[in-house]
Amino acid sequence: MTPQMPAWLDPSPWLDGRASTHADVERALRCDEPGPRELAALLSPAAHPFIEVMAQRARALTQRHFGRTISLYAPLYLANHCTSGCAYCGFASDRTQPRRRLEPPEAEKELAMLKEMGFEEVLLLTGERTSHAGFDYLLECVSLAAQRFHAVGIEAFPMTIREYGLLAEAGCSGVTVYQETYDPRQYDRLHRWGPKKDYLGRLEAPARAMEAGMRTVGLGVLLGLSDPSFDAVCLMRHAGHLQRIHWKSGITLSFPRLRPQEGNFTALFPVDEAWLARLVFAFRIVLPDVPLLLSTRERPEFRDGMAGLGISKMSAGSRTTVGGYGGAEPTTEGQFQVSDKRSVPEICAMLRNRGLEPVFKNWDSAFRDASVRGHD
Amino acid sequence: MERQGKAQDEWIVGGHRFSSRLLMGTGKFQDAETMVGAVLASGTQIVTVALRRVGRIPQEDDMLGPLQQLKGITLMPNTSGARNASEAIRAARLGRELSGSPFVKVEIHPNPHHLMPDPIETFEAARILAAEGFVVMPYMPADPVLAKRLEDVGCASLMPLGSAIGSGHGLATAEMLRLILRHARIPVIVDAGLRSPSEAAAALEMGCDAVLVNSAVAASGDPIAMAAAFAQAVGAGRVAHRAGLMPRGGGTALATSPLTAFLSVEDA
Repeated sequence: MTPQMPAWLDPSPWLDGRASTHADVERALRCDEPGPRELAALLSPAAHPFIEVMAQRARALTQRHFGRTISLYAPLYLANHCTSGCAYCGFASDRTQPRRRLEPPEAEKELAMLKEMGFEEVLLLTGERTSHAGFDYLLECVSLAAQRFHAVGIEAFPMTIREYGLLAEAGCSGVTVYQETYDPRQYDRLHRWGPKKDYLGRLEAPARAMEAGMRTVGLGVLLGLSDPSFDAVCLMRHAGHLQRIHWKSGITLSFPRLRPQEGNFTALFPVDEAWLARLVFAFRIVLPDVPLLLSTRERPEFRDGMAGLGISKMSAGSRTTVGGYGGAEPTTEGQFQVSDKRSVPEICAMLRNRGLEPVFKNWDSAFRDASVRGHD
Repeated sequence: MERQGKAQDEWIVGGHRFSSRLLMGTGKFQDAETMVGAVLASGTQIVTVALRRVGRIPQEDDMLGPLQQLKGITLMPNTSGARNASEAIRAARLGRELSGSPFVKVEIHPNPHHLMPDPIETFEAARILAAEGFVVMPYMPADPVLAKRLEDVGCASLMPLGSAIGSGHGLATAEMLRLILRHARIPVIVDAGLRSPSEAAAALEMGCDAVLVNSAVAASGDPIAMAAAFAQAVGAGRVAHRAGLMPRGGGTALATSPLTAFLSVEDA
């Protein structure tokens, strides 16, 4: 049965089928408090000629809210076990690649390597909840990471409020849960089996994390799965809904994109670079103070161009394989293809050349609890 | 009339004397070199540093290192990022340990997007930190009652916002700032929201003791030149305040038909 979209999320009032006009786009760009209607206009074909205007606006707003800085973080894949059958994912349970998880001592080695590279923020990733990589395993890895890193995020399976609370206590400061697509029918079709089929259970996970006191929650859609304008308006509505209720937590947004042809899956609604750029500019304009992230999925030239042009945070030097940083021998395929393979010093040099300061540390674990201060 | 000599125009906060009335933030700069250049060009004597950006090991993005080299600069760690009083208190204690400075800018903003200061948590943190001997400089909403409450618990200065942080909307809270100034016994420093040097001058003309800027310099076309421009504006605003502005025009011109002709002359 197709899940129902809650009323607070439904984007249809803003996507009434009427094509946006040149005048709608001009109005959106002049609007003091742009909302979903303005976002829809800025994403419409009528806005394409305004892309340079939007880029200028995005840069000015990014500078005003984030200064001339770009925050850097590193993903760390802990395990690739999974029970879900997401049609687009390299870790789906019907893929034949070898499965493994980092044992805690191996995870420690990888963490040490990331620390050595200069990172102060790490994002720990797993697949769905399995007996190999379940909650207790994740909690142990968060505790290990929190001993070394000031900011520790997780991107894993949806959890209960209690579980999110335990992770927060152990030093987890951020939770990322992408809805992938907000279109319930498309969601149901692409999540062929497994726990991830639960649309509402996933949709409500960010609110549960915030309820548990998590500082930051990352939202996003996987571009290519569904009508991207529909998903973009839903993403804005989701962010707004969370901000109104859980006003003490922060939100970040990411824009991962399925490349036109990737693995065994072809993007159903391919998004090209120009549209992705316009999406980032539009989100910067409608949500000027929300951090916008860009991963190493995108090619170097695109990442260089987008740094500071709406984007305020990036991953760098990423490996998307389990054990990919060299603490253990990588024997698995990555979750996605890394397009920007440059090293951390190369990324830093690029940012500096563009007049941007790479920022590794933007949070201090000392704020959290005086007893876990030993970061040296 | 007061003399305009520099030595006579110092201001005192927490027992420390300063002649510059421009405080500088250090975030948002493109690199440490530009940040230090702007700090020097501003002539500032008080610089605030976000503790969340301070590394424990010498690192590429360490904020404290380059500033500790500068002479005649008082470091004021800030607690930005703290969501409540206990986080701010922990950050303040660590800041004192790392910087050796008794100054702390208490900055508590539970909402990480608009970054508006939380009056309740700020009051609580200020009360506890002042009792611990910190020179407490609270970043606060421009609320005249909160200002007196913070003064009463031992804050060394008040740092009301001119407008939302990073907004560049200038002195949107001017009416509340005037009320705060009218009753304050401790220095009042406008913090946040300024965009142009003329707004800084206006704050000083109004009677504010100093201003703090960061985005207005760091996100300008030429941060070092802009820092110098703010220094000049702050100086001009201060001199203007001491000189006393001309009364506003209007209100004293006489109407052709007097309204008071009915008054009896015999009673005079």
